[in-house]
Amino acid sequence: MDINKVSLSGLRKALDEKEISAVELAKEYLSKIKTVDPEIEGYITVTEEQALESAKRAQELIDGGDSKPLTGIPLAIKDNICTDGIRTTCASKMLENFVPPYNATVIEKLNEQGYVLLGKSSMDEFAMGGSTQTAAFSKTKNPYDTNRVPGGSSGGSAAIVSAGTAPAALGSDTGGSIRQPSSFCGVTGLKPTYGRVSRYGLIAFASSLDQIGPIANSAEDCGILLNAVAGADEHDATSARVPVGDFNARIGQSIEGMRIALPQEFFGESTDDEVKQAVTDAAKEYEKLGATLVDCHMSSLKYAVAAYYLISGAEAASNLSRFDGIKYGLRGEGRSFDEMIRDSRSRGFGAEVKRRILLGNYALSSGYYDAYYRKALALKQQIIKEYNEIYEKADVILTPTAPTVAYRIGEQETDPVKMYLADICTVTVNIASLPAISLPCGYNSDGMPIGMSLVGKRFDEATLIQTADAYQRNFAAVPNKYRA
Amino acid sequence: MDIQTIDHLCELSKLNFNDEEKQKVMEEMSAIIELMDTVKEIDLTYDDTKDNNSIKYSEVRKDEAKPSYPTEKLLSNTEPQDNCYVVPKMVE
Repeated sequence: MDINKVSLSGLRKALDEKEISAVELAKEYLSKIKTVDPEIEGYITVTEEQALESAKRAQELIDGGDSKPLTGIPLAIKDNICTDGIRTTCASKMLENFVPPYNATVIEKLNEQGYVLLGKSSMDEFAMGGSTQTAAFSKTKNPYDTNRVPGGSSGGSAAIVSAGTAPAALGSDTGGSIRQPSSFCGVTGLKPTYGRVSRYGLIAFASSLDQIGPIANSAEDCGILLNAVAGADEHDATSARVPVGDFNARIGQSIEGMRIALPQEFFGESTDDEVKQAVTDAAKEYEKLGATLVDCHMSSLKYAVAAYYLISGAEAASNLSRFDGIKYGLRGEGRSFDEMIRDSRSRGFGAEVKRRILLGNYALSSGYYDAYYRKALALKQQIIKEYNEIYEKADVILTPTAPTVAYRIGEQETDPVKMYLADICTVTVNIASLPAISLPCGYNSDGMPIGMSLVGKRFDEATLIQTADAYQRNFAAVPNKYRA
Repeated sequence: MDIQTIDHLCELSKLNFNDEEKQKVMEEMSAIIELMDTVKEIDLTYDDTKDNNSIKYSEVRKDEAKPSYPTEKLLSNTEPQDNCYVVPKMVE
């Protein structure tokens, strides 16, 4: 069996039909990680021993005829999702040696299915960034060109799936952190509706925006993973008490009559011509499949990046105040309580994390609160209103996932303003609590993948998966050298 | 953005920078705040009453005692003494 070419349902079939055992499958991936990961640096921690142990247990379930969709399926997990007894670093010196005493709810749910954890994937430090170059360790490279960034913050998860060192992975998305790296690495990433997946055990960045979701080789594979992790959780009051059906139920159904909106502002000057062309061509493909294209506007888009950074910065400043070096994390030195905390935080956090904390405290501080933070909340309400207006005449929205393809390492990620502006295509989705899926829709003249995003109504992930799958059936993906 | 503002933000954020770092941070934060200033261009008012708060307090879990995580596991990420977290002396 060629692990470079199989889907999650293909792996399920191979395991259930005893074409390969769960242990053999885990060994195949572990062996590929040893060969490929030194070049890609997608993993922070590889959990070889645990992988083989859980694969053995999974095989017993399979042999007993008790397999579930993910029994024996190896996965990578972003390193901001707590794994009991397994180091979880957030790619930060602050948590370099942190071993969680409990599992995140998504991990408990995956364990119930008997999945196999291959390791913890790299990311921008505390999920703040779009390049995975703010990671304190394992600065991941793009499998399509290792001189380029994989995107971020879930750059490790996206690069791992792209290079085939895991068949799928979990990431998290606060302002595009699943979709943008998926776009840069030529894979499919789904940011579920806010509340769809429990965030208990996800190390918090911005609590009104964070959401866990899958990165995989197809929309269908994303659906399989989402089916496993979605649902209300008593440990997370923001998890939604809404029914969870089969997100893949509508796969294969016609999209005849589907109304797809293209907000003009997403196709402006800041978006590369090759990206615009690829997404426009994809829209034409949808027309051929029977969809109707709808012209529309989102006039508040030009304020969205600022609104996003003000809200997420404010929440980050508050969430990260827990890192004081006392109960866990890097412990600094100092003669007084204050000196010790300041030393812990100054040595533990990297430059980008410090900038976000400073920005958040600026936006929340006396004299600036109304002008920045409350204004950003007003913009949040405006963006939600504009999305609702678009959904009165459309079923899904189509946009580029990022204004450019993956850029060269060192080209952009050292300029914070440039980096923030590059989030223009993704942040409104988090602000409005919507689901969105990014999938490849072409390659630029350098052979780098271009991604497009489908944005759906709240809790309508099934329509996104159906619509993305309809396109993927006719799309000829070009694998990178690690998958060829 | 001036040095006094940066010093105030460092106090709020519990962060230290040396003079050279402070200069760089001030320049970066000035450029970031300039970008944030775009929100001032639009005339909008936040409506507190419309805030989408979907948490229903009637649905929170019951206040029942349940087993917690083992103490030794919780203390494994620090250097405890006699099962206690250790901090510098706070009161003279």
